[in-house]
Amino acid sequence: MTNVPVLSIIALTPTVAALLIALFGRSPKVPRWIALVAATVCLSSAAYVYATYDRTAGGLQFMESVPWIPSIGASYTLGVDGISVPMLMLMGLVMFTGVLVSWDVTLRPREFFVLLLLLVTGVFGVFVAVDAFLLFFLYEMAVLPMFLLIAIWGSTRKDYSAMKLTLFLFAGSALLIIAMGLIYWKVGAGTFDLRVWSDYTFSPEFQKWVFLITFVGFGALIPIWPLHTWSPDGHVAAPTAVSMMHAGVLLKLGAYGVIRFGLTLFPSAIETWGPLIAIIGVINVVYGAMCAMNQKDMKYVLGYSSVSHMGYVILGIAMANSYSLEGAVFQMFAHGIMTALFFALIGYVYESSHTRQIADISGLMRQTPLVAAGFVIAGAASMGLPSTSGFVAELLVYIGIIQESPALAAVAFVGVVITAAYLVRMLGKILLGEPSEAIAQISDARPVRVAPMIILALTIMLVGIFPASMYQTIQSGLAPLLAKLAGG
Amino acid sequence: MNTTSMLSLMLPEIIVALTGGLIIVLDLIWPAAEDSGPDSQPWLAYTGVLGLLLAAASVLSLSGQDATLFEGIILIDPLGAFFKMLFIGIAILVLLLSVGALKTFTKWSAEFYALIVWCTLGHMLLASAGELFTIFLALQLTSLPLIVLIGYAKQDPISGEAALKYLLMVMVSTAVLLYGMSLIYGSLGTSTISEIGTKLAEMNTIGPVVALGLVLLLTGFAFKITAAPFHYWVPDVYEGAPNPVTAFLSVGSKFAGFALALRIIVTGLQVEMNWHLILGLMAALSMTLGNLGAIRQTNIKRMLAYSGIAQAGYLLVGLAALSQEGVGALLFYASAYLFANLAAFGVIIVFATATKSTSIERFSGLSKRSPLLALALAIALLSLGGLPLMAGFMAKFYVFLYAVKAGLVWLVAFGVVNSVISLYYYLRVVWIVYVAEGDPGEIRVPLGAGVAISICVAGVLVLGLYPEPMMQAAQFAASALFGGQ
Repeated sequence: MTNVPVLSIIALTPTVAALLIALFGRSPKVPRWIALVAATVCLSSAAYVYATYDRTAGGLQFMESVPWIPSIGASYTLGVDGISVPMLMLMGLVMFTGVLVSWDVTLRPREFFVLLLLLVTGVFGVFVAVDAFLLFFLYEMAVLPMFLLIAIWGSTRKDYSAMKLTLFLFAGSALLIIAMGLIYWKVGAGTFDLRVWSDYTFSPEFQKWVFLITFVGFGALIPIWPLHTWSPDGHVAAPTAVSMMHAGVLLKLGAYGVIRFGLTLFPSAIETWGPLIAIIGVINVVYGAMCAMNQKDMKYVLGYSSVSHMGYVILGIAMANSYSLEGAVFQMFAHGIMTALFFALIGYVYESSHTRQIADISGLMRQTPLVAAGFVIAGAASMGLPSTSGFVAELLVYIGIIQESPALAAVAFVGVVITAAYLVRMLGKILLGEPSEAIAQISDARPVRVAPMIILALTIMLVGIFPASMYQTIQSGLAPLLAKLAGG
Repeated sequence: MNTTSMLSLMLPEIIVALTGGLIIVLDLIWPAAEDSGPDSQPWLAYTGVLGLLLAAASVLSLSGQDATLFEGIILIDPLGAFFKMLFIGIAILVLLLSVGALKTFTKWSAEFYALIVWCTLGHMLLASAGELFTIFLALQLTSLPLIVLIGYAKQDPISGEAALKYLLMVMVSTAVLLYGMSLIYGSLGTSTISEIGTKLAEMNTIGPVVALGLVLLLTGFAFKITAAPFHYWVPDVYEGAPNPVTAFLSVGSKFAGFALALRIIVTGLQVEMNWHLILGLMAALSMTLGNLGAIRQTNIKRMLAYSGIAQAGYLLVGLAALSQEGVGALLFYASAYLFANLAAFGVIIVFATATKSTSIERFSGLSKRSPLLALALAIALLSLGGLPLMAGFMAKFYVFLYAVKAGLVWLVAFGVVNSVISLYYYLRVVWIVYVAEGDPGEIRVPLGAGVAISICVAGVLVLGLYPEPMMQAAQFAASALFGGQ
């Protein structure tokens, strides 16, 4: 490929920027500029990777490898395939818009951006790591900044939520340590290289049980029912940029892990656990949507809506056929962008009105048409209306489900109906009517705050109307896995 | 081997012994002025540091040596060398941390520094003792200075109480240990560890007497390494002892116990007993009781005492694997724990000197009073909690990896669940330091303590990011233990 270590640039630029801010970020305005420069570098590098990734060749590309801890066989090995490329793009977009959204953070801005950038490094790193140890290392690294970001800059029971989120995520990763140890010794090659691991054929019994451990471990992050309760609380308590990153990308780490570890290493286990996972997926979709219906706080609506939408990803994994998996990965991207847009919008409204209660807000359409338009686009994507990215994703998942079990598709479809109901209810209330007292001060945002909304909304439309390149990328990424599933 | 070359192999111990004496003599020659306070002679501590650095250099120059001195009484091997480096490092850091902190509890400094140095001599002898009665003598050499050090704050009744408790604990554990030794000596007719190993290997079945002897020995060490269920003395003693002494106790004394336990248990492996289970249960119990105990604490020294009990459990996981790699992982864990724990205690010492308090509540808003101290404390605690970037993550992963290899999946499950629990109380302190509002007023960090804390934090980060050299050193040391079999 190229000699430029573009993946290292993506993964390490945020860390370098964090160090620079820690050292020189004394004045209140310097940190955000450094962060913006880092975000620009990351986004353009991610776009470069997306544009130049060879979809016909498929497989891992842009490889880099440096020995790290030979004693245990861990190495700094990076590479991307068709599954990680869309995730990189997603993270690049969410990071860039997240920095813009945080432009007006006045409380301890230096620490805020340092932690935000460390979090970004961890997340980027997970998507580009080809070494299981490195992946795990970076995954855990992302959790601590999250704790402090919520605990310091959050709102609504932030201490409780921050601690709950952290402990849930660590409980999940605790299971992963065990799984990794078991796999490491089973393979017996003295390496954490995922390529070596996925070439090894595990015994059906081993596949069955270790898959379960990894599924629950990563699943806590997706979040699977009944381990989901940390997620809405965390969404609500987090500051805007962190909510965006959290719902937009962090939840995808879990699904990404299930596909990378669970399905790829243990293809035969899905036969045993597929039905159970499908049930969990349906519960996520329907139960999450029903919970969202009952919420009064917009962020809680979104929090439970994420639980519901991630249910499609779980369903896609459970069905494990080509359409369903493509749909799952597509949904990871689509939901990430959509939910990031939603949180950016809600964050904006909250900053000027100091309320997120649906009851207190109405008439946004008159007061601030731009923001209202953003809400409409995000809502359309969330409902899965055509011409948005959400439509493509959900369509693929449903085709995949119908292939296996039309009855299940019918049950899951209840979720779509409820989703439409709660979104129409919420959007109708806040957008239409006379402007309420709470939003009297609100006006159309400054360019720096509008830019992220436009970027995200455009992405939703663009991917929704021209899904081909994204689809081909995902297809090339899933090809080896599908071959394995067919063979196993 | 002639006497000179034998003595040259003992050079590190000789240097340390003389350093302690030198501190006393220098104090006699240039005593402090009558009312100048205990911190007027920091150069006494620096003399100690220099002597210890010299000793460290001589340990390094002897590394790779494998020799048996005085008919098996003293073993010079890589395992001993590794532990000696740890002990010397601990003593250097504690001396640096003590400068400026003594005025809170005493008027006399020379004796304090000298006792730390001499206690370290005892630790070093323990690390290289190859014979039961030498072990006993070395243990006394560590215990007696420690009793005095723990009770060093004469005006403070809690300190005296702690010293008395420690004394009682030492007496009981020594009695148990001696009983175990006498049983083994009585049945096997030898007190050299290597010969005990050969005799055990020759016997087909092991009588209950020898088995009891080994278990009693293990119990004796369990007191020292603060493993459950022999940990009840720990919180009170840690809380009562002067802060630098607690720091010293929390790592030095614990590692000395491990140095010993390693040699004895690897010998005891000859005996058909379920060592996996015995050590595994001890580890699981230590982790669980330690972590559950730590959650409720309001005093940071007591919290770290319980955390130390839990950490002893993680260390024991490495031992329970009963493999060379497992022991190597234990040694790596020990080095990671050393830096993290001393960094935490370093911050506590500086903080307590400034505020006269070790209550967790009082740490509120530390990040505004001294950003660097806050960062050091956060890094130290998160390392203890096992978060990446920090040494603790690597250490835990390393230990668990080899425990899984040994088939101890249940124990690793205990370990990882415990790490999650422990994160709760470590994060709570981080939360208090960074989020909660607290007293105003900047906290000044004395030079020596600043240097020591910086070294520890650097150690935590280096081991967390590039652990390879230390892992190799640890595995090399562990190979000495298993190489003979």
